[in-house]
Amino acid sequence: MAEYIIRRTLQMIVVFFIFLVSSYLLFNAIPGNAFQNLLLNPDLPPDAYEKVLKTYGLDKPIMERVQLYVVNFFKGDFGYSYKYYPKTPIELIAERLPRTLMLFAIVNIVAFYTGFLVGKVLAWRRGSKSETWITVTSVFSYTVFYPWFALMMLWFFGYKMGWFPIGKFLYPEKWYDAPWDSDVIFVLMIKFTVIISVIQFMAYLLTRGIESLTQRRNIRFGSLIAIFIGSYLFWNTGDALTKKPYAADIAYHMILPVVVVTIVAFAGTALLTRTTMVEVIKEDYILTARAKGLSQKRIRDRHAARTALLPVVTSFIFTIVTIIDGSVLTETIFSWPGMGQLLLQSVLEEDIPVAMATFSFVGIFALIAHLVADISYSYLDPRIRIKSQG
Amino acid sequence: MGKEVLVVDKLNMHYETLDGPVAAVKDVSFVLNEGESFGLVGESGCGKTSVAMSLLQLQADNAKISSGSIKLEGKELVGMTENELRTVRWDGISIVFQGAMNAWNPVAKIGEQIREAIREHRPDNTKQENTQKIEELFNIVGLDNSIMDRYPHELSGGMKQRAIIALALSCDPKVVIADEPTTALDVVIQDQILKELKKVQNLLGLSLIYISHDIAVIAEMTDNMAVMYAGSVVEMGPTANIFNKPKHAYTRLLLESTPSVVGKRKKLRSLDGEPPSLINENKGCSFSPRCPEPSKECKNQELDMKLVEISKGHWADLCCVSCG
Repeated sequence: MAEYIIRRTLQMIVVFFIFLVSSYLLFNAIPGNAFQNLLLNPDLPPDAYEKVLKTYGLDKPIMERVQLYVVNFFKGDFGYSYKYYPKTPIELIAERLPRTLMLFAIVNIVAFYTGFLVGKVLAWRRGSKSETWITVTSVFSYTVFYPWFALMMLWFFGYKMGWFPIGKFLYPEKWYDAPWDSDVIFVLMIKFTVIISVIQFMAYLLTRGIESLTQRRNIRFGSLIAIFIGSYLFWNTGDALTKKPYAADIAYHMILPVVVVTIVAFAGTALLTRTTMVEVIKEDYILTARAKGLSQKRIRDRHAARTALLPVVTSFIFTIVTIIDGSVLTETIFSWPGMGQLLLQSVLEEDIPVAMATFSFVGIFALIAHLVADISYSYLDPRIRIKSQG
Repeated sequence: MGKEVLVVDKLNMHYETLDGPVAAVKDVSFVLNEGESFGLVGESGCGKTSVAMSLLQLQADNAKISSGSIKLEGKELVGMTENELRTVRWDGISIVFQGAMNAWNPVAKIGEQIREAIREHRPDNTKQENTQKIEELFNIVGLDNSIMDRYPHELSGGMKQRAIIALALSCDPKVVIADEPTTALDVVIQDQILKELKKVQNLLGLSLIYISHDIAVIAEMTDNMAVMYAGSVVEMGPTANIFNKPKHAYTRLLLESTPSVVGKRKKLRSLDGEPPSLINENKGCSFSPRCPEPSKECKNQELDMKLVEISKGHWADLCCVSCG
């Protein structure tokens, strides 16, 4: 296993190198550069443009620049943003990343969970009327033109009904005298979510060994209640109490995008789960499970859905990869200043260091996600074992 | 003989299909005594497995038990709700499926899958008690305890089948149905598994229903047997009686189609024609179109199918009694 991971990591470095060089060349293939608008300014002396180019090293030949960029990249130097000098790309990403992560982590978890749940119920009730209707709805939300759908929801719930804010991730007027940057709140919210998930996951793992099913269920339910009480106490004491109104403001702004993206994203998982599970239900071991006298729910969850999980998890891991680049549309529609908008802006303005840094981030993320997918196979399906050799 | 454990009386089951109802089980009656093994034999599609599935009521969704009764220790199973049936399954009647390869869930450990069955029916057991029980069972069927932590794909076919037998015994069921348990195995392993089953049966005093298309296996394994043809029982009685004095033409042909190790060499006989379609309600004897020597009344389909007792405990179909 360790050997496999090392081997894969070496491969990943090679792939990443190729990725880095080719994307740098592609960005430079765009005609013009970030500073050409200086030429339009009649107040500037004629040599100012050349000076700026020289400062940023844009006057060097392209091959030399690639070399410099790659070497500096692996040294950990990503240059400076052309647009927001003297900010570095890392600073820009650090500011934007929490916003995107918070939004899309929640969307992905909710979409995967509801999709899997809906999918397995659909497969289990195959042929019933409710199954037909839910399948048709899922196909609709799977195929709908997403920007149109998002705008319609925004128009209806934001404008017509006025239940949710239209765009932005906070009300600026509330934050004038805020003692914190919005990122502090975002990081706090992310930490909170991660800790809750870890606790819940640990509770699940620890109770797996308990033999009595009712006892197991009771303890899991108890842990859920404990988490609720714990989070109530957390947000009502000390430091978090003062941050609460700001966190609430962000959370309020998050509702609509989360709901809209979830509606679109859950359908893929639901339909995939349904298809896989319909096949699994025909298997002999489902009959064995029924003959054993297990309850319908247990057969559905522990036998049918568990075996159908592999392709679903694969597709889920690959959608995680698209969090950043897929967020371009969502963030533009909901005016959510996250990574997607940063990516779009930097590409449009030819702010190459920032665009390259965001792209590399997406690339690293994708490579790691694929590795995680491959490793998780062997846990999900014991028939797949990773060989050290070959 | 012990008391009656399972009484099946005039069981009728049909599958609803687009072409009309397919009568898969017609008026099947038999009695299983405690500690006895009962064989069901017949060609493919004659309704053996349909009988087994009806006993556990695990039939496909389009199957319906139209009439008859199944009594397990006096308790009527036909018409029970799903939840009541769940308590009967595995605890009352368990089954060794054909094709052990696919009867295990590929992503769960063998031990966990057995444990799950015990947990369902003995919710108060502790973990140690269940582990002990599984170790006991593995000991009986000749498996190593380490198999418990193995996944199904790590076992050979024979081991999987042994483990399936252990699974079937896990809740000390009153009746065990063995539905062609050796079909997917090679001959050597078949023999081992049969010996194992026989040993287990003697050891635990199991009431066993043994289903097979292989009449030789039935001869070796069972005390009483029934021969099925086209959904009906055509002959039923003590296994020794049927083998020595087969009454029904179909039984005779079935016996003559298997080579015998002892005795004179004989040419094996085969049966012409195909089994009848079960969709149309056949009047009279369903076997008469293929019967080599039907009587005149039988050929004209004047006789209804009905079992008559020809000697003590030995029943055969009325028309063939009249033929022979």
